[in-house]
Amino acid sequence: MKILICIKQVPDTESAHVVDETTGEIKIEDLAEFKMNRYDEFVVEEAVQIKESYPETVIDAISVGPERSADVIRRAIGMGADNGIHIETESDDYLSPSVISSWVANYARDLNYTLILAGAISEDMMHGQVGPMIAAHLEMPCASSVIFEQLSIQNGTVYVEREIEGGNRDTIELRLPAVLSLQSGINRPRYPVLSKLLKANKQKLEIIDAASLPYPKYPEDMVDMTLPRQSRAGKILEGTPEEKAGQLLNILLEKALIQ
Amino acid sequence: MNPPIVIVAEHEAGKVRPVTYELLAFAKKLCRIKSATVKVLVLGNDVHAIADDIARSCGKDVISVQVPGLMGYNAEAYRLVLDTEIRELRPAYVCISHSTQGIDFAPAVAAKLGAGCISGVEDLFETDDKICFIRSIYGGKILAHAVCRADTTVLTIQPGIFKLAEAEMVSPGVVEKKTAAFSFRQSRSMGIKKSEADTSRITEAKVVVAAGNGIRTEENLDLIHQMAALFPRSAVAGSRIVCDLGWLAYNQQVGVTGATVTPELYIACGISGATQHVQGMRGSGFIVSINTDPSAAIFKVSDVCVVEDLTAFIPILIETFEKFKNKSI
Repeated sequence: MKILICIKQVPDTESAHVVDETTGEIKIEDLAEFKMNRYDEFVVEEAVQIKESYPETVIDAISVGPERSADVIRRAIGMGADNGIHIETESDDYLSPSVISSWVANYARDLNYTLILAGAISEDMMHGQVGPMIAAHLEMPCASSVIFEQLSIQNGTVYVEREIEGGNRDTIELRLPAVLSLQSGINRPRYPVLSKLLKANKQKLEIIDAASLPYPKYPEDMVDMTLPRQSRAGKILEGTPEEKAGQLLNILLEKALIQ
Repeated sequence: MNPPIVIVAEHEAGKVRPVTYELLAFAKKLCRIKSATVKVLVLGNDVHAIADDIARSCGKDVISVQVPGLMGYNAEAYRLVLDTEIRELRPAYVCISHSTQGIDFAPAVAAKLGAGCISGVEDLFETDDKICFIRSIYGGKILAHAVCRADTTVLTIQPGIFKLAEAEMVSPGVVEKKTAAFSFRQSRSMGIKKSEADTSRITEAKVVVAAGNGIRTEENLDLIHQMAALFPRSAVAGSRIVCDLGWLAYNQQVGVTGATVTPELYIACGISGATQHVQGMRGSGFIVSINTDPSAAIFKVSDVCVVEDLTAFIPILIETFEKFKNKSI
């Protein structure tokens, strides 16, 4: 069985602020630290767990992005993926999910994957489109926000539970091959193993020049970024931590939220 | 005449879901920029009565597609039937709810049609002859302005934002009833499993103290519990990420896929404020947020913002509260 896992490198906005405190300007371009999209860690883990049940499984990890994206492919190999494919873009410019999904589908078309796994969304652009779009391009069935999956190779099916509103689950059986986009919490992602990471660093990745691939007509584009409006008072407390605690106490007393 | 705007209705157990009317409100706003006919598509096993309901209440024309065997929602059926209908209608925009259903089929419908696709639309405006759609990125810290030049663009609209004004008296729209030839080849829906998680503790609490990824370690949950203990009828809740880590149970999760809470006081500790979380708590009476990141999205929906590290600040807060309590006794 062959599994294709789609992973993305995203800016690490936990460790750095995206808005400049003094100028109030957005500084996404200056973010220098990158990591694997959190949802994709669940994707790698799920594939590795499947491989543990079906040892003959081969896991291919694919990512679209500039040169630095190779880091997350190597991390996936460190977690247990077998091969890495890097569709390398020249610049860091915004890429629509329409473009990314058409490139990945193009790569996967004739390679007989039983399963294609993607994260439910990316933490940076938050579209959640790539998984379902790959499925549409390849005419495969698809389920998104998958929180549980159970393969039945004998029947050629996969049973999935999709997480829907209120924590309820929509249950479906899909015919293989299928595309699943995985919800966070489906498993507990492992840390990469050092020996595998060292091996991954030496392993040759399959590099595909994005410029050589067909570009879809009129994908959506991002033309600007702004800061969200304040929908409530948003009173920012000033002073020392002790002063802030005192102010907060007074506000809650005034509002009769504490007695 | 401009190409039409198509709305895909959402329904459950024979009833129209309210998000359908939100889509109509969104389409109305879109029509103010680019006038167009709005048509509603509804599909399912037995939907003609639902279609009549929609046509009566909103006055728009409805295309009611009977899909034999489609008892609830199924991605395969939606993808194929919508593909046929949309090709026929050639709309400029297809509006779908950014619900767990909408996000499941909308991108696939767009990809198959060669249409553009913009997810989680929160607002729109016109600029230089283009329509810009606003959507959240980076966990809601930033808004992106998206445009699309394709003939057809599929939009998923964030729930809870667009509301129709009071019902107007309208003459009912025309309902076109048809049956789609469709058979399930790739999938089999096996029904909805209701969540067994009992969320009553957090939905009934007067004060909810919620922990996010900013608490960093499981041990720091103690601080959250200590703070909750300051308030009578309080409960500890968390964002999805804290539940994913197993630090809190899923019945303590606030957000789209967890519980929706409306306490008198909501204290968000180290919560970034992603849309999925905010949708579950924005109806709270008073919202206080503690976060080290001054640009955290949670501050945009807060009444009071404390830019501090919660591990240092919460102990000070607890001390301040206790001093006050001892004094008043």
